[in-house]
Amino acid sequence: MYRIRFHGRGGQGMKTASRILGTAFFLEGYEVQDAPRYGAERRGAPIFAYVRADHAAINERGIIQHPDLVIVADDSLVPVAGAGVVTGIDAHTVLLINSDEPPELWKQRLNFAGQVFTLPVETEDRAELRFIGATCSGAAARLLGVITRASLSQAITEELQALGDAVVDKNLAKALTAYDLMEAHRGCVGTSSKVSATDYQNPAWVNLPFDDARIAAPAIHAAATSVQVNTGLWRTLRPVIDYELCNKCWWICSSFCPDGAIDVDDKGVPHIDYDHCKGCMVCVAQCPPHAIASVPEQEAQAQDAAGEVT
Amino acid sequence: MTDTAETIFKRLRDLPSTHLLGTGTPMCAGCGGLQALHQIYDIIGEKSVFINAAGCMTLLSVFPFTPFRGSWLYTAMASAPAGAQGVRDALDILLQQQRIAAEEDMEVVVLTGDGAAYGMGLSSTSGAMERDLDFLYICYDNEGYGNTGQQYSGATPHAALTSTSKGPRGFSGFKKDLFSIWAAHEPAYVATVIGTEPLDLARKIDKARNMTGPRMIIALAPCPTGWDYDPKQSVDIGKLAVRTGIWPLKEYENGKVVHTKIPKQRKPVEEYLQCQGRFRHLFEPQRNDELIDALQAKVDSYWRDITE
Ligand SMILES: Cc1ncc(C[n+]2csc(CCOP(=O)(O)OP(=O)(O)O)c2C)c(N)n1
Ligand code: SF4
Ligand SMILES: [Mg+2]
Repeated sequence: MYRIRFHGRGGQGMKTASRILGTAFFLEGYEVQDAPRYGAERRGAPIFAYVRADHAAINERGIIQHPDLVIVADDSLVPVAGAGVVTGIDAHTVLLINSDEPPELWKQRLNFAGQVFTLPVETEDRAELRFIGATCSGAAARLLGVITRASLSQAITEELQALGDAVVDKNLAKALTAYDLMEAHRGCVGTSSKVSATDYQNPAWVNLPFDDARIAAPAIHAAATSVQVNTGLWRTLRPVIDYELCNKCWWICSSFCPDGAIDVDDKGVPHIDYDHCKGCMVCVAQCPPHAIASVPEQEAQAQDAAGEVT
Repeated sequence: MTDTAETIFKRLRDLPSTHLLGTGTPMCAGCGGLQALHQIYDIIGEKSVFINAAGCMTLLSVFPFTPFRGSWLYTAMASAPAGAQGVRDALDILLQQQRIAAEEDMEVVVLTGDGAAYGMGLSSTSGAMERDLDFLYICYDNEGYGNTGQQYSGATPHAALTSTSKGPRGFSGFKKDLFSIWAAHEPAYVATVIGTEPLDLARKIDKARNMTGPRMIIALAPCPTGWDYDPKQSVDIGKLAVRTGIWPLKEYENGKVVHTKIPKQRKPVEEYLQCQGRFRHLFEPQRNDELIDALQAKVDSYWRDITE
């Protein structure tokens, strides 16, 4: 059986990518299971999708613990613990990462013995991000080696038909380019054997005693505990204020920031809370003197790190 | 009765510059509903109890996290105003029995999406207004069932694509006029607001806060996920909703409706439609002049006789 796990952020099209790959497998005569999974969080937060494909009936259910292929739409997810990108991978697993950094660097960073392939990040333009899904499914199809160009094309056409010909064509072009890019590595993803229910090991349960409702009911006694959640990890772009240009208008970025993550101090100077800024870039679009620049998060982090060294 | 002369929000500089609502919520990046809520919360303040029906904003408070500084109660989708009745009654009893002091009293606030407000919850809202319940109702209107993947609701505009209204003509129904439905109950106050007009919003919430009885607010909530646009455009789209006349800013009080902003030179609605994926089928692959003109005509006919 093939077990494939997709990682992306809500809005990056990983759900579509898994559907395309699943449909392509199906067209090749496989039994297929395809399921996206996301929690309470939305656009920008980590999401997962799973595809299982086999020539026999698939009885396995649920999340994929030990994937043969892991596809990562956004390399900034790799260090995010909650995204679980490296969970259950071993030397047999193939990693496909959308990243401008070379595979060797990822292998070294993750101390990973399996194969790593990267897809170049095409652009900083978020409008192009909608096509990451197609690109990833195209590359994955080639790495699997059992999906023809024709099946991939048909799957994309079927899945995206409702969005119109222009969208289908653009996705086809992206997917087929990625498919061809991985030509040298065709078939490098292997299958792994079925897991049997008798091998199942219980997770390490924590047993909680049954308490009185006054103790056991989920009550929150502190105010605004949501600040404990670091939604700054959702960000792929970082808004950076140039204080020379800021004309201290007082209200624009601070009122418009949907998250209320920009406060203005007594002197009228705005401060962005990077632990919580989700990177929507509303402030960048609204600032009248264009005092807020949009910097790719990784670049900004590299600059931070360099700053700390000096 | 208060009017703009009495409000503490006279100029943009009077807007709050630090914010009360906690950050770190699970709302989408660029959520127009959260934008309105954080502005509203700055004015209502922490002495408030939120009664929340199922929707995106239910996820604001997922144990053990909450952005609120006061209490929060979750109800079934159709019954947030009934929940508010219970909370108000409980507070009144505590006050009556002098178990809490008058200054410990709290504002009872219903927070629901449009799916609840325009549809499922309309009956219990009607009942609450009938009983003259002293509460504030905030509907963030993202024009669909956002939390479950943007199915159409009673608030979805004509021709919009949703996950249950696909095809070249989009949604075949028309957005309900909830403002008028609510105003027909003659509650203390009804107003429309939007987070992209923060001063207008602040004045209205401040006014509502100082009244008693049912005070009803509808906030249009540009939704990058459900309306399909890049999150950074959220404010531009909200401003266009007002400037094209699609979203009239108005209030009802003492039997009278007053527009708080009459767009002088209304921009063509096309400018608003064009930047949202949910209306893309009106422009691609061919332009659908008939539908675009029909949408424009509806807005024109709304404003034809509006003078105040
Ligand atoms: C009675 C009932 N039916 C269906 C649901 C499932 N449900 C949860 S949230 C939601 C969408 C609510 O839409 P809306 O009120 O507009 O809020 P939004 O999600 O857009 O914020 C639905 C249908 C429910 N919780 N209760
Ligand atoms: S789906 Fe829309 S309304 Fe819901 S959190 Fe996301 S942007 Fe806000
Ligand atoms: Mg809604």
